Amino acid sequence: MKRLVALSAIALLAACSKSAPSAPAQTGKGPPPPPPYQMRPEFPGGNRMAGGDGKTLFEYHCGYCHLTGGMGTNLLTKQRMAAGEPPEMGLLANRKDLTPDYVKQVVRHGKNAMPPQTKVDLTDPELDAVALYLGKAK
Amino acid sequence: MKLVTPPRVSPQGFDAAMQAFAGIVGKDWVMATDADRDAYADAYAPGSQEQWPAGAAVAPASVEEVQAIVKLANEHKTPLWPVARGKNLGYGTAAPRMAGTVVLDLGRMNKILELDPKLAYCVVEPGVGFFDLYEHIQREKAPLWMSVPGNAWGSVIGNALEHGIGYTPYGLHARNLCGIEAVLPDGDLVRTGMGAMKDNPAWHLFPMSFGPTFDLAFSQSSLGVVTKAGLWLQPAPKSSLELVFDIPNAEDVGWVVDTIAPLKIAGLIEQNVFVPSWLGKMVLKGQRKDFWDKPGAIPDWRVAELLKEHNLGYWQVALRLYGEESVVKAKAEIVKAEMAKNLKAPPKETWWHEGDPINAYETTMGIPSAVPLQMSDWIGGRGAHMGFSPVVPATGDHVLGQLKRSRKVIDSFDVDFYASFTIGGRFANNVNMLMFDRDNPEQIDTIKKLFNALIEETAKAGYGEYRTHLGWMDRIMDTFNFNDGALRRFNEKVKDALDPNGIIAPGKNGVWPSVYRDQAREGRA
Repeated sequence: MKRLVALSAIALLAACSKSAPSAPAQTGKGPPPPPPYQMRPEFPGGNRMAGGDGKTLFEYHCGYCHLTGGMGTNLLTKQRMAAGEPPEMGLLANRKDLTPDYVKQVVRHGKNAMPPQTKVDLTDPELDAVALYLGKAK
Repeated sequence: MKLVTPPRVSPQGFDAAMQAFAGIVGKDWVMATDADRDAYADAYAPGSQEQWPAGAAVAPASVEEVQAIVKLANEHKTPLWPVARGKNLGYGTAAPRMAGTVVLDLGRMNKILELDPKLAYCVVEPGVGFFDLYEHIQREKAPLWMSVPGNAWGSVIGNALEHGIGYTPYGLHARNLCGIEAVLPDGDLVRTGMGAMKDNPAWHLFPMSFGPTFDLAFSQSSLGVVTKAGLWLQPAPKSSLELVFDIPNAEDVGWVVDTIAPLKIAGLIEQNVFVPSWLGKMVLKGQRKDFWDKPGAIPDWRVAELLKEHNLGYWQVALRLYGEESVVKAKAEIVKAEMAKNLKAPPKETWWHEGDPINAYETTMGIPSAVPLQMSDWIGGRGAHMGFSPVVPATGDHVLGQLKRSRKVIDSFDVDFYASFTIGGRFANNVNMLMFDRDNPEQIDTIKKLFNALIEETAKAGYGEYRTHLGWMDRIMDTFNFNDGALRRFNEKVKDALDPNGIIAPGKNGVWPSVYRDQAREGRA
């Protein structure tokens, strides 16, 4: 068991370094920026019924769990590795096997630890854009 | 989820109310399909979600829209259940106490209206989540720290209003609220404290009103819809030191509390000190089946083995000091000397100085995260949790008494024992975490019976809970029995005076308006 725990910790770190955007160069003293899931893009604002850029909407609305370091990423990394996949597949943005319909289904109905997301969390047009961005298996 | 209309509202009348709401917020923000009702159900419900069905949800974008909706709700006799972001996980999520109530989702009102780095406060709307505020503070490079709960998906204001607790010097979140704006049940708009005077700049600085102070009357309350609030923040310290003590045995928690509580009351320790038992660490290391693969509680001999294997004490005290380095050093010497009276092993010490990186999961430094929720993976399947949370005086005698009592009840149901105590000063908050698989009816039935037994035994001993799930609100209110339930009678009188139509959150925390008092027997877990 110890080995498994150590292994998944290493895998998580690997997932972070491999797929996260590299941290901006440090100028002078100061801490590095927070991990991606704690520094999402700003709320795009505007008309939420007009959809928008799938990547930005995904990172803003889903990022606190599904960017590097988030709870969803941690749980999915464990799950994907148990299925024999590399750890970076814990990041939804790296998945090639998701379909847009599947993404919509999980967002609206929840899955395992994830509760369903309301239309205030993510409007239908926003979800369409996110589903197109994540649903690379079309 | 099929449509359940509120009591005495016909489907036609309900539809008319929805159309009226759509006239205010636009039809896109009135959510009344079966799928919408599912999304507002209690995802972590112990048992069927259909016990607490929302009729629909409506999402206003401004104070004026909230006022208009509340007035229309009165006209249509259609009650509202206000939620800030609806992430009250473990306590009902966004679902209403009374079937058919319309969720008033304030998630679109998500503006950070003010952030004052000098006087260390912010003014936010209910839809602002902990992540939103944290990121804003980082972008502004404001020297301010937040206090966060274990799950930081939720709303800053919502959590404070529900009496949420964090693990920093600002950890009693309701106490950080200062100056509230609320829409009353008749649609009128009120500001508390100095905010009762137009444009008074001390609104969010002086915590009392001229006359009675109502800020906390809007917490765990059905007396209004909070539309903005001031919230005090912690000035970022120059340094911080974490002292981690592994405490070997279960009964040691008595002297731990007797050591830490006086230091906290005296102000030497500023934070709320979280004392979790070993299972709190183990849930992050894997799934239950990795450690014990039988359905009953993990036996004591296996617990002893696991503690040894993973080098854990029965309890862990991760205590944090904040401030100028010289002050922190001096405080640390006093804390260490006091702990050394009962514990030979010195603590693990980790210094942090301004400019150093902060561990991404550090709740004692106000960093938001949802990672503690990973414990829902412990049981496997669609994991869920409920917390049984009595408050006891912060002395070893009271804490050990509560530990023995809850342990005895939990053992008698053959369920894993996972307790924590948060030392908040004069009180300790005991959370007994009960984890279950939402798809295992037998497990859910056991957990419900166990929860009722815990409430009963704890109340018999004279203690009460600080917060609970929808299904137990009435049962917990029943335990507050001074003068034959005088607090409930007082609440009901105030409720009926301010909200004769019972429009705002009927049944919230066991307070029923007279028009819906006949519903109080429904929806009990």
